[in-house]
Amino acid sequence: MIAGRRRFLTLMGGAAAASRFRATPAFAQPAPVKIGVLVITSGIAAPVGESGQRGVRWAANRINAAGGILGRKIELVIEEESNPKDTVERFQKLALQQRVDVISGGISTAVGLALGPVAEDLQALWLSWDATTQKGVEETLPKPKYAFRSVDNEAEAVMAALLTVKHFRGKFRTVAGINNDYSYGRDCWATFLAILKKHNLGVTPVAELWPKLGTTDFTSHVAALQQAKPDLIFSSFWSGDAPILLKQAHAAGLTAGTKLVFSTAGGVHESLKKAFTPEGMILGYNSMYFDAPNASGLLRQFVRWQHETFKEWPNYESDHAYFTIVAYKTAVERAARAIGGRWPSTGQIIEALESVEVESLSGMRGYRS
Amino acid sequence: MQKILNLACGSFYALGAYFGVSAVRWALGAGVPAPLFVAVLVGSGLALSVIGPLIERILRTIYGRDESLQLLLTFALVLMFEDVIRFFWGTAPQQLGGVYLVYGQVHLGSLTIPVYNLIVILAGGAVAALMGWVLARTRFGRIVRATAENREMSEALGVDIARVYARVFTLGTALGTVGGALVIPATAAMTGMGIELIVEAFAVVVIGGLGSMRGAFVGALIVGVLEAVAIATYPELEMLAVYAIVIAVLVLRPAGLLGKATA
Repeated sequence: MIAGRRRFLTLMGGAAAASRFRATPAFAQPAPVKIGVLVITSGIAAPVGESGQRGVRWAANRINAAGGILGRKIELVIEEESNPKDTVERFQKLALQQRVDVISGGISTAVGLALGPVAEDLQALWLSWDATTQKGVEETLPKPKYAFRSVDNEAEAVMAALLTVKHFRGKFRTVAGINNDYSYGRDCWATFLAILKKHNLGVTPVAELWPKLGTTDFTSHVAALQQAKPDLIFSSFWSGDAPILLKQAHAAGLTAGTKLVFSTAGGVHESLKKAFTPEGMILGYNSMYFDAPNASGLLRQFVRWQHETFKEWPNYESDHAYFTIVAYKTAVERAARAIGGRWPSTGQIIEALESVEVESLSGMRGYRS
Repeated sequence: MQKILNLACGSFYALGAYFGVSAVRWALGAGVPAPLFVAVLVGSGLALSVIGPLIERILRTIYGRDESLQLLLTFALVLMFEDVIRFFWGTAPQQLGGVYLVYGQVHLGSLTIPVYNLIVILAGGAVAALMGWVLARTRFGRIVRATAENREMSEALGVDIARVYARVFTLGTALGTVGGALVIPATAAMTGMGIELIVEAFAVVVIGGLGSMRGAFVGALIVGVLEAVAIATYPELEMLAVYAIVIAVLVLRPAGLLGKATA
């Protein structure tokens, strides 16, 4: 029964996809390329979502100003990313009702794990911004074709651990973790510990705390950390909860004698104030640091635009989001060249995407199959 | 007292938080010294309680009606207030930077406690004591208790019920808005915060007993301490511990620890 239903959905998705992605004649009046965008716009992760949306808009504006993709202007169709169930419905709306050409977006791992199978069922090309954890991907997406992820598994936790090894080796014996209670938080903590172990640091975990995403009162967590007395605290908080935790920890004196490694909090650096952000902590900026000394001309242009427009310095989500749009454009153009300049099919675009490498805000980035 | 299950109390808390952020930003920008921000927060919360009589006027239409209707109407208000917040403040979380640290910390042995936390704890205790005194010792409190006990008799004795209801509701609104404002320096105002609070408040009310002020006080202490102990000892039990108590109270003492059983 279940198999029958899945088959039916697949057929329906296939039929919809076939009509949606019908090739556009080369000399017809160019209709816009519709790009669906899923953005977190409310709650604690809104600043990260907003940053991604700015990356997409900047990419679309530049591409449109230069003539679009094969002469077709980009039209963005924005929908909200919230919980997995509602976001799946909006994804379906973008694919089936709005009939977009590609869907860009998706930050939360929980949402990403839910969207993957839907993208495959609907045969809708989806370029996620983040959704970085590996857990569950093999089970839910054994052979993904339409779903592309723009980041590596827990890359920021890996880098934070390596920086910890480099800077703090021999300077701490106990470690505590405070991470969000879902796959990303748990995977980052496990990754961090595994790398410390691999480098034989001989540290002992003394506390593991799992506040749910969206928690804003960490009084009890801070007290528990004080009680555990770790030499180093690791956190993979990536949204508005990071500055709140730091503020409450600092007020309770926790940051004074403890080393801090926050792998992903650079995403909300606008809210990290000097008054409660201690010097000497490792603060992860993920793929892109807005003030990188070796910044490319592209990054400098984007940073200038964002600061002049919004009076804020951008974070990594702009990079992920920008990359998806430019990668799509490059793949379409490359696929079109191979077939005489016509608009390629989704399958041809996917084939081109699987080996695409483009300049993004953080440097050269690509997808692999 | 009105025998109404008001979900919109969470919205008063959220509105108080957002209004407090804006008021403190405005005050600091206007040159008000940073240490006075607590007064600005309390003032903004009290000022916002003017919405109390307006909401009470809407709720007056469902006094004595079925509880499901009350839940639906007050939940509709919650959703409307969420949109009001989005309209005026946008969707990004609103924070107050470092004002939380302006009063410094006190050190008690190995403990470091932010002075602002002590101010809020003391303010909470003072408000509870004041409410207790008003209800037990003042003429207004006696009228409130009499009306809660027997509305018809109070009305027959000349109490202006509509006025008492409006004043009590406004008082409750002020507690919500001031509470929301005071929580902001250490945290952030964000969409959905009112709904989060409703869930926690339900656990407090079920444990303490609906309609009992002492019960609410005891219920809040139980929930707060239980969460803190769970986080310090076995974090996985944080939610489970609270709702295990809720279930135990519902099974063993459905009216709550200090609530009055109804026939």
